[in-house]
Amino acid sequence: MLAAILVMLHCGVTYAQADILTDTENCLLCHRYPNMGRYDKAGNKKIYYINDKLFAVSVHGKLRCKSCHVGLDEIPHTNVKKVDCSSNCHIKEPSTGKEFSHENMVNKYQKSVHGVDAKTNPKRFPEDLPTCKYCHDNPMYRPPRDIWGTSEALSNETLARCMGCHTASQWAERFYSHFTHRMRKRRSQEEVVRLCTSCHEDKEKMARHGLESIETYKDTFHWIQVEYGVENAPDCISCHVPLGYSAHDIRPRTDRISPINMTNRVKTCSNPGGMQSCHAGATKEFATGRVHAYGMKAQIMAANNNKDLMQDQDITLIRERAEKDFSPAEVFHYKILKLIRLFYKLLIASIISFMLVHQVLDYMATRRHHKSH
Amino acid sequence: MTEERVISANKPNEKSDEKTRYFIRLNFNERVQHMIFLICFIILALTGFMIKLPEDIVSKFGEAKTVVFYYRGILHRIAGVIMILVSLYHVFYLLFKPAGRRWLVDMLPKLKDLHDMLGTMLYYVRVREKPPEYDRFFYKQKLEYGALIAGATLMSLTGLLLWTEQMWPKFVLDIAAIVHGMEAILACLAIMVWHMYEVHLKPRKFPIDNLWITGVIDEEEMMEEFPLHYKKIMADPELKEIYIEQERKEVDRVRRIFARGSQ
Repeated sequence: MLAAILVMLHCGVTYAQADILTDTENCLLCHRYPNMGRYDKAGNKKIYYINDKLFAVSVHGKLRCKSCHVGLDEIPHTNVKKVDCSSNCHIKEPSTGKEFSHENMVNKYQKSVHGVDAKTNPKRFPEDLPTCKYCHDNPMYRPPRDIWGTSEALSNETLARCMGCHTASQWAERFYSHFTHRMRKRRSQEEVVRLCTSCHEDKEKMARHGLESIETYKDTFHWIQVEYGVENAPDCISCHVPLGYSAHDIRPRTDRISPINMTNRVKTCSNPGGMQSCHAGATKEFATGRVHAYGMKAQIMAANNNKDLMQDQDITLIRERAEKDFSPAEVFHYKILKLIRLFYKLLIASIISFMLVHQVLDYMATRRHHKSH
Repeated sequence: MTEERVISANKPNEKSDEKTRYFIRLNFNERVQHMIFLICFIILALTGFMIKLPEDIVSKFGEAKTVVFYYRGILHRIAGVIMILVSLYHVFYLLFKPAGRRWLVDMLPKLKDLHDMLGTMLYYVRVREKPPEYDRFFYKQKLEYGALIAGATLMSLTGLLLWTEQMWPKFVLDIAAIVHGMEAILACLAIMVWHMYEVHLKPRKFPIDNLWITGVIDEEEMMEEFPLHYKKIMADPELKEIYIEQERKEVDRVRRIFARGSQ
């Protein structure tokens, strides 16, 4: 029996050593078993299986487990800490020679509209806001093709040129992947919208922060283009990430760098010289209009004296924000649009029902007439 | 065997047809206008309502959806432009061609139309024995024609606004988008309920009234449907010249293609 266990252990060790270079901590001894996992107190299944081959081609494939998972010295791991993306991970950052860390990004993110820094950026319900892992899993490097069209040959030739000097092919391929990873969008427009709406469509969650749900985007032609997979279609990032910044820097509309700030609107819609240029020659009147359809905020603003609405605390919060966002002109616009829509609904209902009745009567009369002849 | 029977069954009809006269309801020019408008309307409706499709249907297009969307936009614009051009030509036709001017005069709403409408309603509910005698165009057709003019104007205007969106304030575009969408629903429903019944579903017209191809109706139908106009034509040799079809052979050929039992 003991011999059998020893053989199994031995096999495990040799397997791990042969296939993955970075597993010097021998974590795969246990974590290579696909059934490894447990149920937590809430009844959710946690899977602790690591596929070493997939991990090796992921963006974190060069890291050791303990670089991110601090405090794994005991088995079972009772003293493990939550992964902190802003910690140093003992890999040298080539441009400065210092230890690499995502701290820079985390700091920028904390200043953004999604940040939860208790001092500079306090939030009413910080637990609602997305952490790094909400948007970032540990993505795979895509095979070095399908960039610049689908020319695999181009990638191969470029790589061959790299390897003229950088002879370690594994290193060269990794570097190439690291670089090209940033030259393409990781998510399609539809995936971006799905990611953002996974929170922003939750009416209750949004109301707690004084926001309206983002269904209003799906009433725009922008979304229809995204839905049909149009290449140039604008997703959330296109209009909400400041020009020259990344998605970590999304700011409120009152911020001067925000692309939806009124001073930046013409530039955002026309985006001259940008990758995505939509409304070339956009005028100020066009660009400063409301892009999303009118939603809950407009409803609240229009229903000025509605006491039923006012009793809800969340509604009061939305109202406070709406009062800053909405000009009287926009409330007027909303009312007019609502009137036109109502007018058409009544018009269609009355005309079509008149027609239906008329034609049914005509049908009966014609039948009657033909029978009598 | 069956074919022979059909042919022999048609023969006596043809002989008796020689005596019947055919009355022109739509001349060649008008039929072409109708045909172009009809094709544009269908293309516009299909490509337009595509942007209102629910998500799960769009996803069924699969990879092709991007290409479909690209051609959707182009087709919608082409059909829109052609429809606008036909409409403009129609205005020219109404003002500068003799047949067009006659059309315009006959189409103008008159007090008689109100009487006709009331009379028809009373006939429908069996208060009156007979429907009123209609002239060349009766109230139903005038209403439909009016709706068509109003609809085409609104759709053209709002469509052009949306096409040149970056030049206009967003509020104007919002209004244009609502009007374009709602008017489209109204137009399609009206065509389905009002026009489709009139030319397809109505007893003795089913499955389709050949008028849009042949342009004529026979004397019997003319007397029954437009008795006042019939009387006017028969009383006036000049109108006889205009409204009675002189050469019938072509018409007969088309009729045979669309041959149906109720003829």
